[in-house]
Amino acid sequence: MTTNKIKDRKQKAKVKQQNIIDALKDHGVKVYGDLDNGQFPKFSIPSRSVSNIVYDKKLRQYILGNSAAVRSSRNSSQLRSFTQLMWLAFFANRLTQEKKSSTLRDVYYSSQAFAIEFEDQSESDNIIVDLEAVLSKPREDFHIFPEERSSIFGDLNIEYTIPGYEGKKMNLSNHPDGYAIGPSLTTAELLDTSAEIVIAIEKGGLFTRFVEEQVDKKFKSIIINTGGQAPRSTRTLLKRLHDELGLPVIILTDGDVYGEHIAMVIKSGSANAAHLRELTVPDAKWVGVWATDIEKFKLPTIPMTESDIKRCYDLQNDPRYQEGIWKKELDVFLKIKRKAELEAFSKYGLTNITDKYLPQKLELAKSL
Amino acid sequence: MSSIKEKFNQISPSEFFYRNRDLAGFSNPTRSLYTAVREFVENSLDACDQKGIFPDVHLSIKAVDPDAPDPKPYILTVKDNGPGIESKHVPLAFGTVLYGSKFGLKQARGMFGLGATMAILYGQITTNKPVYVKSSTDGKIQDEFELLLDIQKNKPVILKHNTKEVTKRGLSVSICLEGDYAKAGSKIKDYVYETSLITPYATITFDDPKGEKFHYSKIVNEMPPAPTIIRPHAHGIDVETIRRMMVESQFEIPNIDDIMIEKVRKDLGLAKKNLTFSGIMDKAAKRWKTLSRPVRVVISLMSFLEMDFDKLNKVRIDDIDVPNKKLYYWDFGDSQAKTIDLDSDNPYYKQLTGTVQGETLTAFLTKRFQRIGPSTAVKFAEFAGFKPEKRMGSLTNEELVKLSDSLQKFEDFLSPDPSCLAPLGEEPLEKGMKKFFKPDFCAVIQRPASAYSGFPFVVEMGIAYGGEIRPGGPHVYRYANRIPLLYDEGSDVVLKVVNDTDWSRYKVKGDPPFVIVSHICSTRIPYKTVGKENVADRQEIERELRLGLQFLSRKLAAYMSKRGQAEMAKKRANLYAKYLPLISQFCTELSGKTKEPNYKKLLEEEITVDDQ
Repeated sequence: MTTNKIKDRKQKAKVKQQNIIDALKDHGVKVYGDLDNGQFPKFSIPSRSVSNIVYDKKLRQYILGNSAAVRSSRNSSQLRSFTQLMWLAFFANRLTQEKKSSTLRDVYYSSQAFAIEFEDQSESDNIIVDLEAVLSKPREDFHIFPEERSSIFGDLNIEYTIPGYEGKKMNLSNHPDGYAIGPSLTTAELLDTSAEIVIAIEKGGLFTRFVEEQVDKKFKSIIINTGGQAPRSTRTLLKRLHDELGLPVIILTDGDVYGEHIAMVIKSGSANAAHLRELTVPDAKWVGVWATDIEKFKLPTIPMTESDIKRCYDLQNDPRYQEGIWKKELDVFLKIKRKAELEAFSKYGLTNITDKYLPQKLELAKSL
Repeated sequence: MSSIKEKFNQISPSEFFYRNRDLAGFSNPTRSLYTAVREFVENSLDACDQKGIFPDVHLSIKAVDPDAPDPKPYILTVKDNGPGIESKHVPLAFGTVLYGSKFGLKQARGMFGLGATMAILYGQITTNKPVYVKSSTDGKIQDEFELLLDIQKNKPVILKHNTKEVTKRGLSVSICLEGDYAKAGSKIKDYVYETSLITPYATITFDDPKGEKFHYSKIVNEMPPAPTIIRPHAHGIDVETIRRMMVESQFEIPNIDDIMIEKVRKDLGLAKKNLTFSGIMDKAAKRWKTLSRPVRVVISLMSFLEMDFDKLNKVRIDDIDVPNKKLYYWDFGDSQAKTIDLDSDNPYYKQLTGTVQGETLTAFLTKRFQRIGPSTAVKFAEFAGFKPEKRMGSLTNEELVKLSDSLQKFEDFLSPDPSCLAPLGEEPLEKGMKKFFKPDFCAVIQRPASAYSGFPFVVEMGIAYGGEIRPGGPHVYRYANRIPLLYDEGSDVVLKVVNDTDWSRYKVKGDPPFVIVSHICSTRIPYKTVGKENVADRQEIERELRLGLQFLSRKLAAYMSKRGQAEMAKKRANLYAKYLPLISQFCTELSGKTKEPNYKKLLEEEITVDDQ
């Protein structure tokens, strides 16, 4: 890592923060101007309805279409939510300026200090998504984070940027339980790493096995536990690892239709976050467990439930599942109507998965 | 075993009512006190109404011994400024049952003034005290009576009578009766309150036994026109009534006595000469045109009987049976009932039968019923299957029943004349309601006159909402002929109509502060019970009530939605007042400014802004 690179990176992060602050200020200025001119201010919010979510093949992710809704303070039925949105922008501005972070639940309670009422947390969560859509930025960018459940382990040096820890450095292989992926990690500078690959794994149990088996060292990798469907902070971090450090990302999931989709969301996003474009790692590779692996490795299986099967049919209609392994594996799942978990490899011994399966798959990944 | 001989007695009307006082509402001390108040107050109001005097009625109830427990004797006095009663009528009016001036067909609060006498009777039997009546018809001389009722003979007993000079006209009645004010008090207060609501042109004062004074001054300076007495409507008639009217329409066969014979002689110019039968007939034929009707009848009778004056003097005419063409008479000479056939070719036949048969059907209808003209009468005759010139007297019993039935069924009679009714009128009703309830909204309607079974009626209604009205409505005030109905409201037709209404359709929700006043005027209110507290659900009345209520409900709905809009606008104004400052505060910091934007302009104009 050259000093230039670090400077560059720091510059990038600064620009990103400034972008958010500027965007928020722009909206503030516009609303201020409207009020001062005796006009009712309004926001244009991209519509997040299903009909306005389209798959962009070029971007390889779901994005919002062109339709937008106006939320006007003139309309008495929208006045309340307009005010909530204004408050949130105001609050996000403070968070970003002061480099403080807040969780979704925090936001819900913080509102009460400003005489802004939310019926419940789902109402405030919705306003947060509205602001994301208005700014086209994920909430993490304005320092609002979900509750954490995913973790990371490997030889990666980071430098915290959050207040009180600025400049403090850390190597992420110092703690065998891994590090929780929270705001401080997502916003930290990624300094350097000896790793050559990122392995995202669906299950906490296997994550621990991988640390024990020193997968990080054996395969020069950073191991990330997504804890099921990857939270947005985790997806942000995966994207940064790929974009900033140039690390390829491979994904290991359970051998079922949900596992396949967890991989797809990391790769190309979800409909829920179609208004955001910075959460995806289009180059990420899903290496298994594939449906074809179930027969190939003679894994112990469980019969698919009705909802598993229904999910298969749903995904067949998704444009991203129309070709390649995505289509092929889905078809096989539907054919064999059985599924297998990552732990199924334990039938052949506790280390079988790291000794046998993983090397094969890493090799295979190169050709994908 | 001894056999008991049944005794048949005739009892006097007062004896009858003494024995059946429950019928008139004197069943117990509570009810009796209330009923007595009602009867006297209503008589006073009726008397003033008839003469167009703004009533000023003073009611007072005093306990004879305030410390005694209820029920106990009370002195009830009702004083008015009405026309008073002529002194010669006072003893009969207050000392006999079924004596009064209210027997005509027109609307009044009471029917016969019976209740007042009942109250006096009740007072007498519970306290053995006389009634005191003071009456002045001219405002100068006042007659004062102290009376008792002789119940068995239905006769007044005058204990004292004197006169003195006064300056005010009017009547004052004071009785002592056993009552229970502890229990009846709230009803009496309600009665006085509700009566003054429906009589806004009256001043009513009530001094209660506990020393409280209730005073309701008159609110309006116009009196509704007094009702007139009218002829009956064809639909409200039965066989017995027709028979009575027919008798009225007939000329009686003259009583042939010496005086009558002398008159005939004189009119024929016979002076002293005794003429033979044929001589008399000749003379009569010559002078026919100058003869009076009774004389013509006597001549006609003579022609059939072929008698001269001497013979005529010895018979009594019993009956003329027109349908069978017979004449029955009693001959004193040989003490025998005799019959002769009437020869319809006799030139006097028509004169004789015409006399006893009375008016023709069409004349009878047009003269004795309201709203029947000659053409309607002819049409009806055709409908009923009678010849229009059919004489009423020639109807057989069967034909009479047929006539009565047809009168009920014929649909082309005009609806009854409501001039016998005295509705309060929209303006006084509205003024009264506004003064009494101090509402935010008030609407009234007087429905056009309608009729059930030939009895005309008018429905008046009012709705008041909001203001000082207590919630929990609709509170229904029911009136019939300006009498508040306070008991038995559960089974009343007005309540039925009100309860059938889906108020949410009219934007009335929850526990509304809401009053409905309903006034039914009729020459005969179809009360369900003798207590006269609830009106039966006659289809025609129910319909009028329903239409009236619907009209008012729509007005109320319009008001409610207007009010709703105003409330919405206010709510919205509050919304802007709450949120715009917040938006200002946030955008000020966001935009990095120090001074808040001038959003006040928006607050001022937002009320006129429509949601987009």
